[in-house]
Amino acid sequence: MPEDLDIHPLDELAVDGIAALDEKISGTYSPEVWERRTMYYIRRDPEGSFVAESDGKIVGFMLGEVRSGEFGLERPTGWIEVLGVDPDYRQQAVGRRLAEAMLERFRELGVERVCTLVSESREGLTRFFAALGFKASDLRSLTLELPAKEAS
Amino acid sequence: MSVRATELPKAYHQAVERWRDTYLPDFALLLEKWDRFFPRDRPFKLCAYRECGSCAKIECGEKKGQEKYVRVGEMGSDQAAHLLGAVRAQASTEFGSIQQHQLTLSRAQDEQDQFWILRMMAEELRHGYQMLHLLLEDDWSAATRRSGADMVEEILSMRTGSHVLGTFNIDFDSFVDNIVFCALVDRVGKYQLSMQKVSAYRPMAESMPEMLREEAFHLAAGVLPLRRWAEQAAQDSVYVTMPLMQKVINKWLPRALEMFGHELGGATNLRYGFKPMVNAEAQEAYYREVGKVLDDLNLRFIRSRLKDLKHGEAIALRRRVVEEGESVRGIAPEHLLRQPHRHFFRRRGEPAFSMVGFAGEAFEDPELYLRHILEHLPETYAAGRDFKGYATLLRQVQGGEIDASEAARKTPNLSRVGGVCPCSKAVRWVAGGPTDDGATFSTTP
Repeated sequence: MPEDLDIHPLDELAVDGIAALDEKISGTYSPEVWERRTMYYIRRDPEGSFVAESDGKIVGFMLGEVRSGEFGLERPTGWIEVLGVDPDYRQQAVGRRLAEAMLERFRELGVERVCTLVSESREGLTRFFAALGFKASDLRSLTLELPAKEAS
Repeated sequence: MSVRATELPKAYHQAVERWRDTYLPDFALLLEKWDRFFPRDRPFKLCAYRECGSCAKIECGEKKGQEKYVRVGEMGSDQAAHLLGAVRAQASTEFGSIQQHQLTLSRAQDEQDQFWILRMMAEELRHGYQMLHLLLEDDWSAATRRSGADMVEEILSMRTGSHVLGTFNIDFDSFVDNIVFCALVDRVGKYQLSMQKVSAYRPMAESMPEMLREEAFHLAAGVLPLRRWAEQAAQDSVYVTMPLMQKVINKWLPRALEMFGHELGGATNLRYGFKPMVNAEAQEAYYREVGKVLDDLNLRFIRSRLKDLKHGEAIALRRRVVEEGESVRGIAPEHLLRQPHRHFFRRRGEPAFSMVGFAGEAFEDPELYLRHILEHLPETYAAGRDFKGYATLLRQVQGGEIDASEAARKTPNLSRVGGVCPCSKAVRWVAGGPTDDGATFSTTP
């Protein structure tokens, strides 16, 4: 783990660092997309999403929120929705430290169940969540491919 | 943790609503359009929120580890008076900023920017309401002989020019002021609220979490439009240029730094357990964070102008231009934003009325210094009463007529506020019998 790793709540200044991290992973620079996304989480609960900083730059982030009433889950449920870790900082417990901060926040908010969705093709991500104690649940993800309407 | 929402006793709630109708006339419009601009956000409610279940032990100072104070009466009179000063100052800033923002709100070029500022104003009103809640829910007789009604009346009667802190006595000249104010001055608010979150007075500590959540939006309401303007400026937009942004930053940053109090002060707050940091420590962290904001904006400018650059390349270019003063690929130092020296254009605190230039250079002639400052400030501001007052005091200090601390004191303070005297012609905001609905506070004759 980087010695100076600092985990702190997401704020409006994190946008560029997150956009840069995404650019490093995906090759696309989309600050406006990350601005919209981060603002959504900042407005919902600015203490509920986290970034990891080392050596003055953002090396990871985890976005999530508490919802209740959706998908038949009446009790407040924590959702981990977006996770990104700098490829140069993987296997250094950055994701685990982010998850610990987020799970602690969920606990403070009275959450007893935390959910996320992981593609079966993302084995590393599945292992990451399993190492945190996540298990397959009775919630099943269902998908419908919606073809575009043909132009008349 | 749970959040408890309460309303002030009826007479006071109505007083705040009357104040709102006067200084925030677009409030109804905000509610009408709330779902359009903030479709997934909780609707606005004028009330005080208290987050129950926060730390019960004093977190800093000489009584660290003991139970937090639940009532003002549990403190000594000096400690209570200190706390009261902080609550009144906080309340004054919340109401004061609304009066400032209202001046230029309608000049926004972008409807979303305007509604974000409008929402921020409504939330500042709620923050002021939260402070009135603290004043009215407890018995402050350990700190003052004034009644809750008088204290509320006094705060609601303040105008731009009579607020506790100098920052809130300066008129806005354009919508750029609204935006820069959010990015810089609300950021001081974030620091103050974060520090007060550990307050030894539990009602204060419990008031902070919800205010901080709202403050996070206020900072974004400033930084996001600044980023967009920086990107547009890089495309040679004629509306908001980087030099204009720089000048407005220069106008507000010195005042924002002064909001932390004197650089040598803050020990009493720390000792009493009201804040975990002394003034200089908090100011230093703030100044560094503002540096990050400017770095962020410069990066947006560079990447908008030179789209082929990757993140690391853009950072390297920014460093060469800002720190080394080079011109690289058509981007010169004057194209980017720079952080004024922390002693530039100061009138309170340790460097008050010292003549330190934008880049930290020293001046000896007040007239030359004033001309230097004027080059770095918006012309509309320089033509106003605030700058004239500063120039007059600077000449007096440099001419040996008064000393810097006396000049610093010549800014508005609470004792100058009118409006509570029965013979005053000012509007009385608190009408009727304030205790007629069974308010739980006590008043002292």
